[in-house]
Amino acid sequence: MSKKNRENKDTVEQEQPQAGAEQAAEAEPKALEAPDIEALEKELNEAEAKATEHWEHVLRLQAELENTRRRAERDVQGAHKYALEKFVNELLPVKDSLEMGEAAAQVEDADLEKVREGIELTLKMMSDVMSKFGVAEVNPVGQPFNPDLHQAMSMQDVPDARPNTVVAVYQKGYQLNDRLVRPAMVVVASANSGAHVPPEGDNGGNIDEMA
Amino acid sequence: MGKIIGIDLGTTNSCVAVMEGDKPRVIENSEGGRTTPSIVAYAEEGEVLVGQPAKRQAVTNPKNTLFAIKRLIGRKF
Repeated sequence: MSKKNRENKDTVEQEQPQAGAEQAAEAEPKALEAPDIEALEKELNEAEAKATEHWEHVLRLQAELENTRRRAERDVQGAHKYALEKFVNELLPVKDSLEMGEAAAQVEDADLEKVREGIELTLKMMSDVMSKFGVAEVNPVGQPFNPDLHQAMSMQDVPDARPNTVVAVYQKGYQLNDRLVRPAMVVVASANSGAHVPPEGDNGGNIDEMA
Repeated sequence: MGKIIGIDLGTTNSCVAVMEGDKPRVIENSEGGRTTPSIVAYAEEGEVLVGQPAKRQAVTNPKNTLFAIKRLIGRKF
């Protein structure tokens, strides 16, 4: 607001010399000076008060941010320590089964068939626990190679498979809630593969199939 | 004021962190890893792979997978 007054004053001062009335020019600024200083001082005090208020507000916000961050850190640490609690709870029956199976296998004339059944059941229990907690298996036999989920160990010429598909899985991979925990270790069909792949509709035409 | 980040571009692995206030915080990549292998691969159809996925397909695409290229920086091309 005062800026506009100052600008008007400047243009007024410029116009006065043009009119040639210099005394009038000196008189006008003098008449405006006194009230201006008071107004300016008042504005300065107001502005300083506002600045201090804002500064204190900023400091308060910084302190709050620091507190929030510390709280979040504490929460994360707590979550880390006890996150596994539910999972451990569900795993305990699996461990119990394995221990019973081991005990049964130590017996003199242990029935291998029973032990085998027991192992199968224990494996099923384990798979159930894992899928309950969002763990998915990655077993991509026959699927196209995907570097986001699979790790290529080697390439092989395989006539029965299209190039760049997975022909063997050395080790299954696992995902936890869509994040890859361990990639599946696979063998990929090389570019020379696919000589005996039955053609699909859009295949380039296998010479052996052409009449 | 903009954020300040620090990048450790290593020969085998890279790592990036951002300043949060006065503490640096390492940023995880899309797979949740705090470091990323310094490998880039150019797959079919112009797809560019970086980090672990690039490393995993190195055997299938050796000609277009680059690693340790930091060793080449500064040398004559």
